[in-house]
Amino acid sequence: MKTLPLGQFIPGDSPVHRLDPRVKILTVLLLSIVILNSGAAESLVVTAFLMAAVALSGLSAGRIAAALKPLAWFFVLLFCLHLFFTDGRPIFAALPAVTHEGLDRGVAVTWQFVALVVSAAVLTMATAPSELVGGFEKLLRPFNRLGVPSHDIAIMVSVALRFVPTLLEEVERMREAQVARGADFGSGGLIRRLRKMATLVIPLILCTFRRADELALAMEGRGYHRGPRTYLRELKFTRVDYAALLAVTAFLIGVEALRFLPP
Amino acid sequence: MITAQHLVYRYDPKDMPVLDRVSLEIPEGQYVAVIGPNGCGKTTLVKHFNALLVPQEGEVLVDGLSTKDAKAHREIRRRVGMVFQNPDNQIVGMSVEEDVAFGPGNLGLAPAEIRGRVGVALETVGMLRLAKRAPHSLSGGEKRLVAIAGVLAMKPAYVVLDEPTSYLDPAGRERVLNVLWDLRQEGISVIHVTHSMEEIVDADRVIVISGGKFLRDGAPRDVFRDADTLRAVGLSTPQVTELMWRLRAQGCEVRPDVLSVEEAFREISALVGTGTGGGR
Repeated sequence: MKTLPLGQFIPGDSPVHRLDPRVKILTVLLLSIVILNSGAAESLVVTAFLMAAVALSGLSAGRIAAALKPLAWFFVLLFCLHLFFTDGRPIFAALPAVTHEGLDRGVAVTWQFVALVVSAAVLTMATAPSELVGGFEKLLRPFNRLGVPSHDIAIMVSVALRFVPTLLEEVERMREAQVARGADFGSGGLIRRLRKMATLVIPLILCTFRRADELALAMEGRGYHRGPRTYLRELKFTRVDYAALLAVTAFLIGVEALRFLPP
Repeated sequence: MITAQHLVYRYDPKDMPVLDRVSLEIPEGQYVAVIGPNGCGKTTLVKHFNALLVPQEGEVLVDGLSTKDAKAHREIRRRVGMVFQNPDNQIVGMSVEEDVAFGPGNLGLAPAEIRGRVGVALETVGMLRLAKRAPHSLSGGEKRLVAIAGVLAMKPAYVVLDEPTSYLDPAGRERVLNVLWDLRQEGISVIHVTHSMEEIVDADRVIVISGGKFLRDGAPRDVFRDADTLRAVGLSTPQVTELMWRLRAQGCEVRPDVLSVEEAFREISALVGTGTGGGR
């Protein structure tokens, strides 16, 4: 597959897919704040919320696991660091470094990261990239007056995403061309392999600059200019979107409020 | 009407000019083929038509707007659409329909109007079926057609294409050429830069460029009649034309300005006295 591996869009027609991208983006933002602030009780509620979102989105658990997999070692490391390097009461007399406090913190911090990744994965898997870019653009639009060029940022991001597969193809072509002439990318230690990669990276950079030149000409030829433009699909909140945003916001504020309740 | 008057262009002031005092007029609705050996200035010439290049001497006017006036560039580029050689480097959108919508979006049109134009442009090039596809999943010919649709969505009066059939298989080439012919039928000027002689026998007009000057400018029949001049600058004539010339060299009575297999068939049939015969 010549696409980005992490959180690749899975086309579908679930309620989560159909939501306005802005609702999803705002939900993930709010959710992130809650996740980073949550204690044990909140984290249970948030976990339930995430599981409900995954179920509603029609994404299989396997897809979500696939998004987490590349980060598995990071999670293990994170957990171990907290487990071994937190002061407190030892769990085993023989192993004084492992403490009750360390175990608690390790579980909590690792859960936070897993939850953040899962919420981002649901967002990117259940939202077409173009909708995602469109959603960000529209959310940034009120800041145009403060000098945030939302339209230009949107074009930049979508052009970048559009060219990822093209550039990957290009790398593959150059690799084949060099292999055909006797280059060997498969063997040798890590350092040797990295050094060999330089013979791909340099031509890739040069090609990309040439492409960028041509692309700029083509864009200019099609009337591109900085500043406001219009889109094929102008995003519009439906009643469902309003209801969903309201419900999610109320829910997450509620979760935050949990912490202020007397125990 | 696109008008060039005594156009001169150099990439480097020390070098010989790439275009050396060339003048031409292209009326609306004409199918113009531009041919010439590599590096003769074909691409440089057509880049002047939509103000990607501005003449160093002389002038280029598009419907009366001078390309030297930077304020007119947007309007000139809307009127003169440009399809570049490599479609990969001109497709901006993450899907076919979004790419075609890029131009109209830049014009600030309402979404309903954009939708309409995208539909018409994709219909014209026969790509409506693939509207939702990602550009990188298309074949070379399909990418070309998307690039053409992207330009058509601007509703141009002139479309310039730089070697639109290079790297295409015969079927892809055929599709692109048919689309160009349809545009001509709709009254859009087509300015087609190419190496292939076979592709341009139906053009209204052929301009042969060599060394920065127009070597020939006329109807294909008149241009190809003069095979020796073309050969001298490294160009060939269509194969059937070449065949007629060889037959003439052998003393056979055939027309020298044959362009199609049909015509050649008639000439040869008349010669050997069989088939439908008659020739002219």
